[in-house]
Amino acid sequence: MTPGATPADRVERHKAIDRAYHWVMAASVLILLATAFLPILGIKFEWVGIHWVTGLILTAIVLFHIIRSSIRNFWAMMIDSGDLRAPFAKPGKYSPAQKLYHLAIAVLILSTIGSGLLMWRKVDTPFWQRNPYWLSTDSWGVVYAIHGLAAMALVTMIIIHVYFALRPDEWYVTRSMLRGWITRKEYTDHHDPRRWPAKDEA
Amino acid sequence: MSLFRYANSIYGGGETLIGANYGLLPLFALAGVVIVIAHAIFKAVVAADKPR
Repeated sequence: MTPGATPADRVERHKAIDRAYHWVMAASVLILLATAFLPILGIKFEWVGIHWVTGLILTAIVLFHIIRSSIRNFWAMMIDSGDLRAPFAKPGKYSPAQKLYHLAIAVLILSTIGSGLLMWRKVDTPFWQRNPYWLSTDSWGVVYAIHGLAAMALVTMIIIHVYFALRPDEWYVTRSMLRGWITRKEYTDHHDPRRWPAKDEA
Repeated sequence: MSLFRYANSIYGGGETLIGANYGLLPLFALAGVVIVIAHAIFKAVVAADKPR
């Protein structure tokens, strides 16, 4: 029988709501990067409206994610003493590398959101007319620099993320982000049950 | 190549920061590709060293 064919052979790794968050965030970030960088690369179109609306969607879901994580376990994705004592031992739910990646992405996304919300003031919206004098020229320069550098760094991070998602030895993690579960064998092969006492799917 | 873009301030007083230098975008993408290739080579070497 194929491993994971029955619910009894499955261990839940990601709930449906967390998978939905991941994929909506992925789509939002890709749309934001495309609308930001395609015009710079010479593909001209009306990008501003798509960009700020998608940015608002990203802001809303990240806010939801922060609240949900704070209620459940805010520190689950932080490097802990177990990671420092034995960084190459079997991890709990997330490896130290995955936690560091999450931390880096969090810093970059929050930087783009924070600077993007300020830049929103320079765009005409149904809520207000643009006001380019809301900050001084120097302050706008800092805001734009943070937004641009974080966005370009996101391109680097996404290339790395897609590579790991497609690696055959990491495919079980990618499958869990699509379908929610890993097999019992993958659980015992790759994780320390004392650090991640997982629930059966059955 | 600078990380930032500058322009002459319309109020005088020299150059002012206006944002990141988007000319660096290919370098950021290249950095991702280099990390991917380095990791793939590392994993291939580790796999080749393992006893079969």
